[in-house]
Amino acid sequence: MTSVEGAAGAPAPVAPSGQPVRPEPFLRRVGTFFRNNEEHGWRWGSRVAVYLPLAALIFAVAILAHKAWPAIRVNGWQFFYGKNWTYGQSYGAVVHTDGVAHAAGSEFGAWPIVAGTIQSSVIALIIAVPLSIGAAFALTERLPGWITRPLGFAIEILAGVPSVVIGLWGLLTFGPWLAQHIYPTLADIAGWFPDVEPFSFFRGPTGAGEGLLTAGIVLGMMIIPIIASTTRDLFMSVPPLPKEGGEALGMTNWEVANRITLPWVRSGIIGASVLGLGRALGETIAVALVGGASLRLAPNIYQPFGTIAATILTQLEGALTDGTGFAVATLAELALVLAVISVAVNLASRWIVARTSRVGAPVGGA
Amino acid sequence: MTTVATPPASGSKAPSPLSAGPSTRRRRMGSIGFRIFTYAALLLIVVPAAWVLLGVLFKAAAHWRWDVLWTKLTPAGGGLRDQILGTLILMVGVLIIAGTIGVLAGIHLSEMAPIRKNGKRSGGFLRTSSDVLAGFPSIVLGYVGYTAFVVGLHWGYSLPAALIILSIMVVPYIAKTTENSLRQVPTGYREGAEALGMTMGYSLRKVVLKSAAPGIVTGLLLAMAIACGETAPLIYTAGFANTLPHTLTHAQFPYLTYVVFTFYDQPNVQLHYLSYDAALILIVIVLLLLVLSRMLVARTQRHAEGARTRTRTPRSPRRPKDGDPNSGGVDLAGVAARF
Amino acid sequence: MTKLMRATRLTRGAVAAVAACLALSSVVLSTAASASTKLPSSGVETPSGGTLTETGSTLLYPLFNLWAGGYNEKFTSVNVQTAGTGSGTGISDAENNTVDIGASDAYLSPSVATSNPDLTNIPLAISSQIVAYNVPGVLSHLKLTGKVLSEIYQGTVTKWNASQIANLNPGVTLPNIPIVTLHRSDSSGDTFLFTTYLSKTDASGWGTKIGFNTTVPWPAAPGALGESGNSGMVTGCKATPGCIAYVGISYLTQALQAGLGYASLQNAKGQYELPTQAAIAAEAASFVKKTPANGTISLIYGSANGGYPIINYEYAIVSTHQSSSSTAKSIRSFLEWAINPKDGAGASYLAQVNFQQLPSKVEAQSVKQILAIQ
Repeated sequence: MTSVEGAAGAPAPVAPSGQPVRPEPFLRRVGTFFRNNEEHGWRWGSRVAVYLPLAALIFAVAILAHKAWPAIRVNGWQFFYGKNWTYGQSYGAVVHTDGVAHAAGSEFGAWPIVAGTIQSSVIALIIAVPLSIGAAFALTERLPGWITRPLGFAIEILAGVPSVVIGLWGLLTFGPWLAQHIYPTLADIAGWFPDVEPFSFFRGPTGAGEGLLTAGIVLGMMIIPIIASTTRDLFMSVPPLPKEGGEALGMTNWEVANRITLPWVRSGIIGASVLGLGRALGETIAVALVGGASLRLAPNIYQPFGTIAATILTQLEGALTDGTGFAVATLAELALVLAVISVAVNLASRWIVARTSRVGAPVGGA
Repeated sequence: MTTVATPPASGSKAPSPLSAGPSTRRRRMGSIGFRIFTYAALLLIVVPAAWVLLGVLFKAAAHWRWDVLWTKLTPAGGGLRDQILGTLILMVGVLIIAGTIGVLAGIHLSEMAPIRKNGKRSGGFLRTSSDVLAGFPSIVLGYVGYTAFVVGLHWGYSLPAALIILSIMVVPYIAKTTENSLRQVPTGYREGAEALGMTMGYSLRKVVLKSAAPGIVTGLLLAMAIACGETAPLIYTAGFANTLPHTLTHAQFPYLTYVVFTFYDQPNVQLHYLSYDAALILIVIVLLLLVLSRMLVARTQRHAEGARTRTRTPRSPRRPKDGDPNSGGVDLAGVAARF
Repeated sequence: MTKLMRATRLTRGAVAAVAACLALSSVVLSTAASASTKLPSSGVETPSGGTLTETGSTLLYPLFNLWAGGYNEKFTSVNVQTAGTGSGTGISDAENNTVDIGASDAYLSPSVATSNPDLTNIPLAISSQIVAYNVPGVLSHLKLTGKVLSEIYQGTVTKWNASQIANLNPGVTLPNIPIVTLHRSDSSGDTFLFTTYLSKTDASGWGTKIGFNTTVPWPAAPGALGESGNSGMVTGCKATPGCIAYVGISYLTQALQAGLGYASLQNAKGQYELPTQAAIAAEAASFVKKTPANGTISLIYGSANGGYPIINYEYAIVSTHQSSSSTAKSIRSFLEWAINPKDGAGASYLAQVNFQQLPSKVEAQSVKQILAIQ
C-alpha cells in the first residue's frame, strides 16, 4: 500500500496557474475542471450519500404507515391481544367498518404471531449466549492457534451461509433428525416432571420437526457467529494482568472467568446478545422454512408456529386474494410493528453498550 | 500503553478465594466442569456448522452434473446458468450502487463531518440511522419494495426494484466498514499530504483512500456476500424467472436463492436436486468471497504493523471502545452481525 | 356391487362419446366465436414477439414451465417467464398489471371481480385433489365422505377405528390409533378446494362454522399439524402414522412413493370414487352446461354419475385491456396454444402433472374469453 514515501513521490497537484501557450485540449480541460473541483465533489457526494440511509428509513416507515393506516384504525388494540387470525369469507360479502371495506368475518389478532416471534427469539438466545461465551473462552484461553484459527474460520463460514441454505437443511435434514432422535426423549424427560406450565410445554406429540423448537435452534445457530465473534474479540481485549493476578491468588479457571473476565466485558456481551436478538426477530426465510408457518400459538414446543417476519412472507400471497385490500393493509401493520420492534431493539443495544462502556471497562492494550 | 490493574467494580466485590470460600474439591470440580463446558460449547457450534456444509455438499454431490453451470433451466430440470448469472448481476449491481453510496457515506462520517469541540466528529445521528437501517428486517424492506416500486411505480417484478432494495440493505455495512478502515489510516498520512501542499480532495484520493482500500474492499466483498444470499427481499421485488430477461422493467429476474427456497417442494425430483445444487453454488460463492476478504485482511494487518512502526500513534476522533461490537474489524461474522 | 360398477362404466362410456362429439364441434364453435379477432385454422394466432410474464399458483407452475418451453419451441420470438408465487400473488399481479398472466387455482372473488371489471378468469385445465393417509395395515383405498372428513378435521372423530369410518368401510380392519389431521399452514389453493368440499358436504357444520378460503381458522383437532407446501404435506404424512392430508393431484406420484394411501371420496350421487381419469372427466362433463361464459364456477361435489368430487378449473387471470396490441396478441397466442388439445393441452404436457383437458365446450368458451383480450 501507499506509504508516506510513496505519496511524496506522487506528482503534486499543480494549480493551473502555469501559463498555457496554446489552448488546452478539451479532454485536459475537463480533467482540470474535475481536479480543481475535486474537493467540492467529494464533499457534496459524501454529504448526499450519508443522508440516504436516513432517507431510506423514513421512506420505508412512511410507506408502511400509509399502507397500514386503514388496518390500524379498524383493528385497534385488539390487534395486539386478539388470538384469532382469519381472513373471513374472501368469496363472500364485503362489509364496512368505519368506512373501511373488509371481508365478512375477517378478524386479525396478531398475538399468536407476536408471541411466536418472542418465543423463538428467546429460545435462540438461551441457546446462543451460553454456547457463544463457552466457545469464545475455549478459543481465546485454552486452545493453541493451529486449532482456533480454523475453528474461528468455521464460525465465520456459519455466519456467511445464506439463511435459505440453513433453512433448507433445517427443514429436510436437521428438523426430521431432531424429531426422530431428540424430541421424543425430551418429551419423555418432561413427563417425569409435574404437569405444570414450563414442563407441560415440552410434552405432547413431537411432530415431524417443523416447529418452534427447531426454529429456535436454527435461529440460535444463525446468531451464534454474531455473539461468539464479538465475545471472542472482547475476551482478547481483557488485559492479562488482572487475570494473572487472579491466578496468582490461587483462583481456578472458572473463578478467573466468572470473577474477572466476564464482569470486564459484560456490557459488550449484553450488547452483542441484544444485536443477536434483533437479527433473530427479523429472520424470515429460515423460520418460514422450518417453523411450519402457523397462525396459531404452538400448543407445545415441537409444533408449528409463526413469527411476524415469516408470516409476512408466507401470508402476503393469500392476503392478496382479499379483494378489499384489508388483509394486505393488516400485513403492512404487522410489518410496521416488526420495524418498530427492530429499531427499538437496535437502539437499546447501542444504548446499553454506550452507557456501560463509558463508565465500565477501561481500554486495555493498544 | 496503560493497563489498569484493578478489575472493574463489579468484579472486586467477590471475596478472595483464599478466604472462606467453597471447599477446594468443589472449586476444582467447578473448574473442570467449566473447562468441559467450554469445549462442549465449541463442539456444539462447530458440528452443526460442518453438518450444514457437508450435508449440502453430499446431497448436491449425489446428483451433481457439471452442466448445471452452463445449461438453462427447463421444466424437466436442466441447469442453473441464468440463475447463477442473475445472482452475479445482482451482486455487481449492488457493488456499483451500494458501493458508491456506502463508501461516500463512510467518507463523510470519517473525514468530512465537522469536528465538534470535544474532538469527536459530528454525524452521530446519521451514523445511528444507518446502523438502525442495517438492523431493519429484510422482509419489511422487500414489502416496501413491492408496494413502492413493483406496484406503485408500475415497474413490475424487475431487476431495478430488486437492486434498489438490496442496495438499501447493504449500504450501512459498506458505510460502516469504510468508516472503520478510514479511521485506521494514521493521521500522519493526512498531515504529511497536507504538508506537501496537496489539496484535500487529492490527498483523500491518492493517500487516505488508497491506504484504507483493503478494508473498504473487504467491506464491499462482504456486502456482496450478503446480497447473494438474500431471499426474502427478492421474492416480492425480483419475482423469479427461468431465463434472464430482455428488458429492465416488467421482467422477472432469475436468481439462485429462489431455487433453494421453492424447488425442493416441486413435484419433479430433478428440481429437488437443483435446490441442493443452488445451495452448494451459493456456499461456494460465499466461501470465495470470504477467503478473498480474509486474504485482504491479512495483508492490511501486515501493512498496518509496518506502518505503525514508522509513524506516530494513530489519532482517531472516536476511538473504538472495548465492548463496542461495532469496533470490530472487518470479519464476516462481525459484518453479518448486522452490527 | 358389480351392477353398480357396470353402470358407472356405461355412464363413463356415454360421457366419453359425448365428449368426442363436442370435440368435433369445437373447431366450428371456436372459429365462430372470433368476432373481433380472427382465429386461424390452426387455432393459434402467430405472435409478434416479445416477453410474456407469468406468476401465480404453485400447482400450475410446473405446467406453465412445460408450456413455456413447448410454446417457445414453436414460436421462438416469444419468451415466457414463469414463477410459482401462489394464486393470491397471481391474481393481484394481473390486477396491478405487474405481470401479463396470473395463474390461479381459484376463480376471482366477487370483491376482486367487481373492483376490476377488466379482469377475466380463463379456465385452462382441470386439476383435482387427493385425500391421502398413512394408516398402518390398511392397503386398500378407504371410503370417506365429506361429512366424516369434516368431523375428523373438527376433532369429533378422533380414532381410525371410529364407527363413522368403520361403517363406511365394512371388511377393512382399522387400527385403534388416533387420527392426526394435516392442513396447509401457508395460504393455498389446495386449502380452498378442500374446505369448499367440506363446506358443501357439511353445510350446517363446516359450512357455517368455518367456511372456505385459501387460509381458514382450523378447528383445534387433537394433534392437528400444519405443514407448508404439498411436499410438506406428503413428507409430514409419511412421518406421522395415523395422519390424513389433502394433496394436489400433481403430487400423487410422490405420495405413492412415500407409501401413502388415498381415499375414494363420496360424490353427491352417494358413490365412492377414486381420482381416475374417467372419474375426473365425468365430473367435469357434468359441469359443462353450468359453466358460465366467464368461467367462474366451483366444480366441487357435482352431481355426476361416477364423478370424483374434488376437481377444479385452473385459471389464467388476464386483463382484457392490454397496454399494447402486440402484447395482447402474444398473450392470446400463448393461451390459445396452451388450451389447444393438439398443443399445450395434449397429454404430453398435462399427463406430467396429472391434469386433464378441458371439456371441448368449455375450451371453446375459454377461446372466446381469450379472443376478448385486446
